[in-house]
Amino acid sequence: MMTRRECLQALAESRTDEVVLGAMTASREWASLSHHGLDMPVMGAMGQAPDIGLGIALAQPERRVVVLNGDGSMLMNLGSLVTIVNAAPKNLTLMIVQNGVYEITGGQPLPGIGRFSFAALARAAGFLQVHEYEELSAFQADIPALLKEEGPVFANLVVQGGPMPQTPRADMVEVTTRIRSILAGQSARPVAQ
Amino acid sequence: MARAQAVHDELRKCGIEYLVWLPDSETRSMYDVLMADKDLNLVQVCREDEAIGVHLGLYLGGREAAVLIQNTGMMNAVDALRGSALSLQIPLLLLVGYRGYHGMVEGAATVDSAAVYTEPLLKGLGIPYYIMDSDDDVPRISEAYRQSRADSGPVAVLVGKEYD
Repeated sequence: MMTRRECLQALAESRTDEVVLGAMTASREWASLSHHGLDMPVMGAMGQAPDIGLGIALAQPERRVVVLNGDGSMLMNLGSLVTIVNAAPKNLTLMIVQNGVYEITGGQPLPGIGRFSFAALARAAGFLQVHEYEELSAFQADIPALLKEEGPVFANLVVQGGPMPQTPRADMVEVTTRIRSILAGQSARPVAQ
Repeated sequence: MARAQAVHDELRKCGIEYLVWLPDSETRSMYDVLMADKDLNLVQVCREDEAIGVHLGLYLGGREAAVLIQNTGMMNAVDALRGSALSLQIPLLLLVGYRGYHGMVEGAATVDSAAVYTEPLLKGLGIPYYIMDSDDDVPRISEAYRQSRADSGPVAVLVGKEYD
């Protein structure tokens, strides 16, 4: 079994100019591994990361957007799977970091864990690119494709949580201002139809 | 009542390129008008809190967007309004169907609780709002748009009666 840290470390090594949104615990782990202008922690309202990622992907069709969503966060907003499929952004990759618990609140198990499948839910919602990983080597091998293949792409990462990194709380007004400003430079480029 | 076409035209005058929305009873006849505009991008969501998140993403990506939902849906979306708009100081034009507005009359046998809590909720959140009840009120959309940009926060236009 792979750890959350190993997975995100592998992703951080392959990441170039993608926007990366991280929810809850995944966001804290990501912040301890990556310091990039287009990193956006989503710690405000739980469940919002897939929708925020969708909005950025629609606004910036040339840039890949990666959402690192928690499993608890995903359960809170399953409808967003349908919303994303309906909007059909080719440049969105939605990853679920499935550790089976609400880690940020002390490790309480998720309802129904082990009895439902995020990959099956994504397929049923209409995602055509659905992947599931339990081994680091398989995930590592696929990362370049996950960041390139025509989306929307869904990938479920079954991980062990492990200790939660303590990272300083970001000033979110500053983060959103920075991301908007970086993306404004990009949006001057012609938009692919 | 405000005509759907007039509302649409006012939104376009503000430069709105994306409308994030979920159909509701006060905006029923908007649908045909919105669909007829091939240059307006519609993003339909499954639940109203999603609309606030999609709007935030569009804003970060440099697009001009607005949200069209019902007051009941706005109640669903309160945590998203807090976390993905208010606390981040995001300019947000909200068009909100005011279900039950015209039923709130003295002596009415029943009043729609969706209407009762709408304005107190907006006041509680500190979100300024206007009421649009006829074509004469349509310019409120542009006012709300400008105010949301000037104040970097959400401003709502409550739609008093179904569009025609």
